[in-house]
Amino acid sequence: MTGTSEPVILIIEDSDEDFESFCRIARKSQVNHLIFRCIEGDEVLPFLRSTNSCLEKAVPFPSLIILDLNLPGLDGRELLKRIKQDETFKQIPVIVWTTSVNPKDIEICYKHGANSYLLKPMDINLLNETIQGLINFWLKIALLPHQET
Amino acid sequence: MFEPKDSLTVDLTNCDREPIHIPGSIQPHGVLFALTEPELTIVQLSNNTLSLFGIAPEQLLNQPLHQLISEDQIRILEDCLLAENLQDVNPLELLIHSGERSSSEDPSETAPPQTFNGIIHRSHGLLILELEPVSTPQSNAYFNFYHLVKSGLSRLKDTKELQTLCQTVVNHIQRLTGFERVMVYRFDEQWNGSVYAEAKLKELDPYLHLHYPASDIPTQARDLYLKNGLRIIPDVSYQPVELIPAINPITQTALDLSQSSLRNVSPIHVEYLHNMGVGSSMSITLVKDKTLWGLIACHHRTPKMVPYEVRNACEFLGQVMSLELTDKEDLENYEYQITAKTIQSRLIEYLSKTDRFVEGLLNFEPNILDLVNAQGAILFFENQFYTLGNTPALADFQPLFDRIQQYIQLEGIFHTNSLVQQFPEAEPFKDVASGVMALSLSKVPSHCILWFRSEVIQTVNWGGNPNKPVEVISGEDVRLSPRKSFELWQETVRCTALPWRKYEINAALDFRNAIVGVVLRKAEELATLNRDLQRTNTELDAFAYIASHDLKEPLRGIHNYACFLMEDYSEVLQEDGKEKLKTLVRLSQRMEMQIDSLLHFSRLGRVDLNLYETDLNELVHHTLDLLRGRLEESKVSIEIPQPLPTLYCDRVLVQEVFSNLISNAIKYNDQVTKRIEIGFRKSSKSFYVRDNGIGIQAEHYDTIFRIFKRLHGPKRYGGGTGAGLTIVKKIVERHGGRIWIESTPGKSTTFFFTLPL
Repeated sequence: MTGTSEPVILIIEDSDEDFESFCRIARKSQVNHLIFRCIEGDEVLPFLRSTNSCLEKAVPFPSLIILDLNLPGLDGRELLKRIKQDETFKQIPVIVWTTSVNPKDIEICYKHGANSYLLKPMDINLLNETIQGLINFWLKIALLPHQET
Repeated sequence: MFEPKDSLTVDLTNCDREPIHIPGSIQPHGVLFALTEPELTIVQLSNNTLSLFGIAPEQLLNQPLHQLISEDQIRILEDCLLAENLQDVNPLELLIHSGERSSSEDPSETAPPQTFNGIIHRSHGLLILELEPVSTPQSNAYFNFYHLVKSGLSRLKDTKELQTLCQTVVNHIQRLTGFERVMVYRFDEQWNGSVYAEAKLKELDPYLHLHYPASDIPTQARDLYLKNGLRIIPDVSYQPVELIPAINPITQTALDLSQSSLRNVSPIHVEYLHNMGVGSSMSITLVKDKTLWGLIACHHRTPKMVPYEVRNACEFLGQVMSLELTDKEDLENYEYQITAKTIQSRLIEYLSKTDRFVEGLLNFEPNILDLVNAQGAILFFENQFYTLGNTPALADFQPLFDRIQQYIQLEGIFHTNSLVQQFPEAEPFKDVASGVMALSLSKVPSHCILWFRSEVIQTVNWGGNPNKPVEVISGEDVRLSPRKSFELWQETVRCTALPWRKYEINAALDFRNAIVGVVLRKAEELATLNRDLQRTNTELDAFAYIASHDLKEPLRGIHNYACFLMEDYSEVLQEDGKEKLKTLVRLSQRMEMQIDSLLHFSRLGRVDLNLYETDLNELVHHTLDLLRGRLEESKVSIEIPQPLPTLYCDRVLVQEVFSNLISNAIKYNDQVTKRIEIGFRKSSKSFYVRDNGIGIQAEHYDTIFRIFKRLHGPKRYGGGTGAGLTIVKKIVERHGGRIWIESTPGKSTTFFFTLPL
């Protein structure tokens, strides 16, 4: 992980507490990625379009998207569909990160191209495990697009 | 008195079949010709031309009619044949020279032509011409039709009641015709007749109010009365005149004389009249609503000819009277109809006001009894019987009720004033249920009303014994003969109620139509309510789902932050503070469990069942496997005394039912040796889970199924969300089943449930 551009993670999450919990655990796990956050669904596509590696001061293209499903404005499910239908954005892995245990949600998300579907657990220990697992796999083991090695 | 028939014996068939419309002969007071059209060739004629015209029938057979009648008259006849209704042109006055003319040498000696009334009609493509001699030609002026009917009409119009109308008519007809006895004979629903009005010579025995059995005037005779407005037999002792040839050469059958005024009288009827001492008779048809209502019957002890014009006037009066019948009878019913309408509208008003159909019909004044003047009623509604007034005991009456209900399912309505006659087994109910009227309100589901009238012992005066309407003279030739005795014969009528009047039957039918309106309106309201409920249910499900989902987010925040607080500030916090934080965490966890249960419960109401044929033995064993840890830990012995059945169900959900019930059985059990029995009762098709635990007070049987309802403190018996039984009940209900409890507090609890799907 070298180069001028730091790897970027985009978290789409309306809950400050959930966002804070994620960041807290990520910090403890020594994640050095730049974390960007969108609160509303409608912000996401404009944000992604503004990340253009050709512009000097532009935000780098995110390597991973963590997506909550229940969002203000544009719904997470619809947003996922739009990301995965976009020629440029569809290469970005999207991790669905939600409270919903509804089998229909799980089915829809995978059909629309979600790369994995994770539950926000209630128990703090489970929460730690889940987020660390996510970090371990996606940020340490997996190779992500736009990452120079 | 009338064309007779025998009774409800084997003879019935003979007499009913007597083809009285094709007797092959006529009465001798006129001549009948069957003619082809347009040639007017005589193809059949009566064998009495010689006596009436002096011409042998052989001379006329297969000859054109102008052999007999002048060309001028033929042309008039031909013009008449163009008339739309031949009846309108009758009678045609025809002059016929007697047969001697042709043989006479001196035309001046020729007898003057004789005047005949020609009466024409068509029968099976043939023109039938009947000629009756006009005995007193000079009487024509006197018997002017207008003159004859004028006074009669004005008197008819002045009458108000039916009885007065009938009396006026018989008086007038007696005056017109000179018959010694003129009666109005009225039919009842079973075609029995009774004399309703009578005008007679003083010396004759009165027939007024005498009854005659239906067999006195058999069906085919009644049919002929309907076809012909008037029937005359001038001389009962006549010798019939046969037709030549017997079989009509054109139709190849016996000539149909249904509409012939000369038609031969059935020999049985002739005998009947003889027995009554009648020498000549005339009957005028009375029709109401296209059915035979009655007859004006005229009798004379000696032969008597009535001129055609007078007969015509009588027939006309009969028609006018027929028209009046509707008015007069309606007037009779008018007052009743007003009352019935008032009662009906009151009942409908009650029905629209109350939500309970039955209450609306029975609990107010007036009620359904008043509608048809009944003394009792049974209302069968939504598989429940409701009684009002005097009714037979339901338990005993049930088989009859079933039969009547079957009938009205097909026919809509049933009514009798003697149930015993229809169903002999109804004898024990005669006191309250001699008269029954049953009305189907709806077929599916089956709703109906039965009305009852009690027995009224009546005395009926019959003209002779009604049960012996014929005398069978047995011998070598078994011969039927109408009864000879017309002496007053009294019958006491039992097992019979006052008859249901037409207007009462109509009131019942009207009432059904009115009710249907109310029921339809109620059904519509119900449908709307159902739609609303369905929407509300869907909304409620969605609400529960979304609410619980959204509730979890802040809850998770609370939980996480409490945890973070403990992690980050454990050195700063005292034991007491840490304890409180732990409580906070525990409460947040419990709340999450409850929210999850709520979520699960709300989903149970919405998701479709995945039904598969499932071996419940396997399912229960699988459930026990999953619970093995807890079973072993609590040292529970499980007993399944008999194999469980295989049935269609949602495996996952039914497993949850067993899992919950078994968990409860373990949880709420203080015994050292905990026992659970799982079984199936074939008789009630119910599963059961029985424990030897703490039991449940009967007063809690219902409340334990309420969501989050717990009977014990949260820390006792291992806690729990309090949703398990609610979910169990929901699953059982989704399978169309029900769940119930039997329990002895301190000893055991058994949960029973069915899975009918």
